[in-house]
Amino acid sequence: MKVTYNWLKNFVDLKISPKELAEKLTMAGLEVVGLEKAGDDFVLEVEITSNRPDWLSVLGIAREVSALTGLKLKTTGFKEPKIKPKDFSPIKISVASKQDCPFYSARIMSGLAVGPSPEWLKNRLEALGCRTVNNIVDITNYCLFELGQPLHAFDLDKLPQKEIRVRRAKPEEKIITIDGQTRLLNPEILVIADTHHPIAIAGIMGGRETEVTFKTRNILLESAVFNPVLVRRAKQKLGLQSESAYRFERGVDLEGARQASRAAQELILKLASGKACGSKSLGATKAITPAINLEIAYLNKLLGTAISGPKAKQILSRLGLAVKTKSRNILTVKVPSFRQDLRLPVDLVEEVARIYGYEQIPQTLPAVKPGRKAPDDRDLIAVMKNILCGLGLSEAITYSLIDRHLLKQSGINIDTGLVEIANPLSREQEILRPGLLPSLTRALAYNLDQQQEKVCIFEIACAFSGQPAAVAEKPLLGIALCGVNTFFTKHGLAKDEITLLHLKGILETLFVRLGIKDFDFAGQPDNKINIMINQKPAGFLLKLAPQILGAFDIKNRQVVLAQVNLERLLKEVNLARKFLDIPKYPAITRDISFLINEDVSVKELLGAIQAKGAPLLNQAKIVDYYRGKQIPLGFRGLTVSCLYRQDNRTLTEDEVSPVHNSICSLLTERFGIKLR
Amino acid sequence: MDLNSLQTQIDTDLAKITSAQTLEEVRLKYLGRKGLIAELTGSIPGLPPEERGTFGKEVNALKNKLLGLFEEKEKALNAQAKVLTKDKLDIGMPGIAQELGHIHPISRIVDEICTIFNRMGFSVVQGPEVETEYNNFTGLNIPLEHPSRDAFDTFYLKNYSKLLLRSHTSPVQVRAMKTQKPPLAIVVPGRVYRPDAVDASHLFMFHQIEGFLVDENIRFSDLKGILELFARSVFGEDIKMRFRPHFFPFTEPSVEVDISCIICKGQGCSVCGRKGWLEILGAGMIHPNVFKHVGYDPAIYTGFAFGMGVERIAMLKYGINDIRLFFENDLRFLKQF
Repeated sequence: MKVTYNWLKNFVDLKISPKELAEKLTMAGLEVVGLEKAGDDFVLEVEITSNRPDWLSVLGIAREVSALTGLKLKTTGFKEPKIKPKDFSPIKISVASKQDCPFYSARIMSGLAVGPSPEWLKNRLEALGCRTVNNIVDITNYCLFELGQPLHAFDLDKLPQKEIRVRRAKPEEKIITIDGQTRLLNPEILVIADTHHPIAIAGIMGGRETEVTFKTRNILLESAVFNPVLVRRAKQKLGLQSESAYRFERGVDLEGARQASRAAQELILKLASGKACGSKSLGATKAITPAINLEIAYLNKLLGTAISGPKAKQILSRLGLAVKTKSRNILTVKVPSFRQDLRLPVDLVEEVARIYGYEQIPQTLPAVKPGRKAPDDRDLIAVMKNILCGLGLSEAITYSLIDRHLLKQSGINIDTGLVEIANPLSREQEILRPGLLPSLTRALAYNLDQQQEKVCIFEIACAFSGQPAAVAEKPLLGIALCGVNTFFTKHGLAKDEITLLHLKGILETLFVRLGIKDFDFAGQPDNKINIMINQKPAGFLLKLAPQILGAFDIKNRQVVLAQVNLERLLKEVNLARKFLDIPKYPAITRDISFLINEDVSVKELLGAIQAKGAPLLNQAKIVDYYRGKQIPLGFRGLTVSCLYRQDNRTLTEDEVSPVHNSICSLLTERFGIKLR
Repeated sequence: MDLNSLQTQIDTDLAKITSAQTLEEVRLKYLGRKGLIAELTGSIPGLPPEERGTFGKEVNALKNKLLGLFEEKEKALNAQAKVLTKDKLDIGMPGIAQELGHIHPISRIVDEICTIFNRMGFSVVQGPEVETEYNNFTGLNIPLEHPSRDAFDTFYLKNYSKLLLRSHTSPVQVRAMKTQKPPLAIVVPGRVYRPDAVDASHLFMFHQIEGFLVDENIRFSDLKGILELFARSVFGEDIKMRFRPHFFPFTEPSVEVDISCIICKGQGCSVCGRKGWLEILGAGMIHPNVFKHVGYDPAIYTGFAFGMGVERIAMLKYGINDIRLFFENDLRFLKQF
């Protein structure tokens, strides 16, 4: 919304500079986002909040300036010209629905000299960026900007039946608007029609047919109030914005509609001569406005101030409200029709605070009463993120909305339970994702494309699935790894391609640090490997199949992914710790190196050793493995380290040897190992 | 001189050799121009003729033996020197360490802000991203015909008529107040969604942090105090702040909070649109109608609420000029945080 400094001066005897004015308005809630010199005037561009349609006029802003500066608001009264009854040319008006159009008025003026506007009028309109047309149209626009009431002038001679019907458009009805466009209408759109067809789209734009031109001699001046919702919908439907629609969709002042009509008539008769031939109106003339009681104690309690009753009264009065002192503590405020936003005492508190100045309100610190605070999921997630970062993974954040194609690309076929967006702007916003891995794979592929040698990323976010009556939101941890770990050793650079075992190692470390003891990875590397926590499924890991790598244009790489159900994981987290005595007695360690068939499961092997070695065997673990030269095809070399220890005494060789030997025999007999 | 006793002395001297310098000293002592061997050779003419031949041979043998011993010693010393060179460390070589990952800049800002409020006694609560129309709008005093409910401004779900993707984190206010009684001091970080066309400053998904404090006797002055403390914690002590009246349906009075531009220090630059001020959050006193919806008595309880865009704050703090970078997940971007 634009307004000029000199125009405001018509209403208030401003003594402050345009810059100071801009500052004052901004700090009162009318943010001035632009201030430019235009000739001998200044144009202020003001951002108006949606609750204040009354600010969409010079008068409305002047009223605010008056309240802010304490200067008197000069409003001119408009006198109703005396009409001789014989001059009145009858016109018929009908309004189909009072809801659609609460008020409609028409003024007839005749014998007009339509021509260019005087310079002062042109300058004012052009400063606001409004195109000038002719004196009649320019005056309607002038009144729109000055008073906030959109007006429309019809060429009366183009309305042979002298009848106005305010009604919904019929299906397939059309109108050519003054911009020359043919507009297809429908019954959701309110129109002004004559007996046959629409002559204007109510509140938005007039029709070309009845447009006022230099040839026009007689006009019908419309001033009306239309339903804001109807105007907004129609505007959206037609893709048509106008200064008029901008005001109607926010709500115009019912009582101001009359005043604007009179003001326009006065100006038309002055600038285009002619004569007034009377007027006709339908609908409500008085707005229903409440009287609100404002307790001064409430005001100060809510703001943390000590504003006096008289001060509050002064502020509210200057805003054009009728204020009476009901008692020492209570003001009764009668709201004028142009302030439909004021309904509750708290609305008046804001008015007082605005004009008093938010800057004048002190700063205090409340006594926050902290609640009991056990570590919550967010704290645990922070711990998890730190562990993952410590393991070299970076956090990614990807969109929860994805395109259907991404699922197909990832080899995921879901027919049921996909949650679709009803109004996506583009394909990328089609569905709420059912999992994190497609998005992570895409982010990974993007980074490979940017010549990254290694991509290790994770994301913690929700996945969505449709249930019969609701949408389930499940928090997940997703991990995507690809590339080569390179690291320096004492001997130089070492390279190590990331595999499923690296992913397993990351998850194991994560689980252990979160205090999860019972977890397992079950399945074949060619398929999904299930993650079991406390014997219940908690997610999976997998290596991407070649055709999916191909779909993402990933070449000569392996990509491993994991998805963990965060709810399950968080439920099992145990950050409590219990100290165990450090062993007092020394242990005996015996290593066994052997060749073993690749098909034998190491997990099974270690389990068998543990069982056989109990109770002296404290731990058996793989300390080395080898595959390559010296090892026959289909075999691998393994070294298992067996640690024997008792908590209450030092073990002797004599005790350990038979147990260890029995383990060796077990390995030979049951697993067919060849000792090296 | 007794050559045998000389032999033990030689052994003792050789054992003392630890460096090239001591080697040379010992060598000179025996093989130098005025060394023992020269002295012995020089004594030959003074011997009886029959002893001269034998003695001469013995001295010569000794000399050869010494030459051999010194050579050996020198080799040993050189070998030792080589070992030392091999162990030599150049601290200019790259350090050896496990590479760490990086926390996303959005998470960093969310954590920073939540931690600040945590210290002030606020607890962190989260809510679902799929919300009801009631929690997202009605419960927050947003009328049925409000433009923000339009399909232009909110994502709706197919086949679920009353569900939508939350367009702000404020519905968590409704959820928290419906299930808990005051006092409440809560911050809510999370993803929010709006059907915006993507460009350098708009996305259809972004992050917000919502906060609210409800109790008896919470005042507008408290809102100012808390938010000032917050802004100075995030942007530094030397910023200027201003509180501008604004409008939100769920707060009254409402306010927008600006800080002096951290790029140009208030002089006016492209980041602040030449205004010298940056808008960082919206806030206000919770509207009595919101309290009525959740069953709180507005005559007893008052409170304030605030909300801010995380991406905007991250962009300002880190000097990022394109919002799309946050979700591209380019490692060259992520690794800077």
